[in-house]
Amino acid sequence: MLKIDKLSKSFGGILATDNVSLELKPNSINAVIGPNGAGKTTLFNLITGKISIDAGSISIDDTDITNLKESEITHLGIARAFQITNIFPTLTVKEAIKVALLAKQHGLNNMWNRFKTHSINHEAEDIAELAGLKSSFNIISSELSHGDQKLLDIALALALKPKVLLLDEPTAGMGPEERWKMIEKIQKLWKKTKMTVLFIEHDMDIVFDIAQNIYVLQQGGIIAQGTPKEIKSNKKVIKAYLGGGKK
Amino acid sequence: MSFLHKDNFHRDAFLGLIVWLVLIVFYHIFPDPGIHDIIQKVFILGLFAMSLNILIGYLGLIAFGHAAFFASGAYTLGLFLQSDYVLSLGGLSIPIAMILAVLISSILAALIGVICIRLNDIYFSFLTLAFQMLIYSIILALVSITGGDQGLMGGFPKPPFLGIDLGRPFDFYAFTIFISVITIVLLRQIIESPFGYGLRMIRDNSERPAALGFNSQKHKLIAFIIAGSIAGLAGSLQALLDVGAYPEWAFWSKSAEPLFMILLGGMQSFLGPLMGALIFELLNDFVTANTRYYGLVLGLVILCFVLGLKKGLLDWILFKFNRK
Repeated sequence: MLKIDKLSKSFGGILATDNVSLELKPNSINAVIGPNGAGKTTLFNLITGKISIDAGSISIDDTDITNLKESEITHLGIARAFQITNIFPTLTVKEAIKVALLAKQHGLNNMWNRFKTHSINHEAEDIAELAGLKSSFNIISSELSHGDQKLLDIALALALKPKVLLLDEPTAGMGPEERWKMIEKIQKLWKKTKMTVLFIEHDMDIVFDIAQNIYVLQQGGIIAQGTPKEIKSNKKVIKAYLGGGKK
Repeated sequence: MSFLHKDNFHRDAFLGLIVWLVLIVFYHIFPDPGIHDIIQKVFILGLFAMSLNILIGYLGLIAFGHAAFFASGAYTLGLFLQSDYVLSLGGLSIPIAMILAVLISSILAALIGVICIRLNDIYFSFLTLAFQMLIYSIILALVSITGGDQGLMGGFPKPPFLGIDLGRPFDFYAFTIFISVITIVLLRQIIESPFGYGLRMIRDNSERPAALGFNSQKHKLIAFIIAGSIAGLAGSLQALLDVGAYPEWAFWSKSAEPLFMILLGGMQSFLGPLMGALIFELLNDFVTANTRYYGLVLGLVILCFVLGLKKGLLDWILFKFNRK
């Protein structure tokens, strides 16, 4: 599915991504963990073409996407949700999802139809349902709860019907209870859509609970990878990140 | 008449036609030329302000140099109608001259826009202003063509077409409002189309669209060209009204006028800038008739709106109305 080979990126002499290679299996759910500044978000920015690559290559289903533009990579099947919430504050949930659906179909150049009555309404409803936002379908995004704003961001990524979904800290800024609810929703979503998911997460319990495969980043490089069980017993990881105990 | 309940093109076109007919009747009920003059100007300046509000209200980009396109429309129309060469070939009809004015303004907007839309925020604003002052300097420098600081002198013929003689006050009044209403209905269609929601998306978050696979630069450029074309159309109507064109129309203070109208009327409601133009014109008319301190009064009124209502008048009215 997604294959990254010897990817590197430095900012002013500091290696933010250091010779990273990884390969995601189809329909798998994978996590990236690592301390602050380990280069997790930078990795996402490189995969999605938001920032340029210094060395290495990235491909999806054997299509090379190494130096493509962000919007081109999106059309090839990689979508992401961000850490930042409040994406389109003045649009309703429905409008935001519709805009994303139309963006996917190159339909935003259309001047001759009315957006409000566009036939895409049903599809938008399906996506909202999938993301668990059906009850807030007509609410202005800025009035949604923090968790629902995160879900909306994920819904926008879903509207692109991606092969690979990248989630940047889907539970950031949430309390423990809210976190588990969110992660349950993501797990359900993954099972339903059969997408390949790669997510960044700080909470070890969550990562060990739902990820099939874990990548541990430190100072830009992958120091360990494997199943939760393997990671838990990996000495390098225990020393660098887990500090001996669980969290 | 069920289509009247829906927000669609047919309803808007129908309402536009009604407004036009009402204003025609109004013309005959109130024969005062002063009132007719105000209404014409409200529509011309309203078009100008509404075109700027595509950028400000829907795209979130504040252009300081929008008068460049108003002036290009005015000068293009004037020069084509005045040109000895064109006259020796039998002259141009007014609709053709207006189409040329819009076309030239849109080309100018494409050239200026392709550079300006690369920037955001204040940098965008000042670059548009710089281009406008460039246009202003060109108009002043090309004395033999534009008349320099005297403006386009000597007038130009307004040949009748399709039985419409724009030399007659009623014909001009009906024609100007008709063209304005059509443009407003078309603009409404664009703003309420998927394209229009693409603009709102860029306004709300300029980073996110690329991650949705959306090329926002192209979208911004198209919006800039549409805005420039409509400003050019407004300029051509103004030139027809004044039978001339003046370099002040390309000066920075001319770009401030639609900004004031947007502030007065509101930038969030579609017709806000048109209402702003009405307030602006009424103030202009009554205040200048009574005192020399027009600028002072305008400034105080804008302060009242900004500090008191915290939004334009139409935005405020709709806000109150929706809350109930």
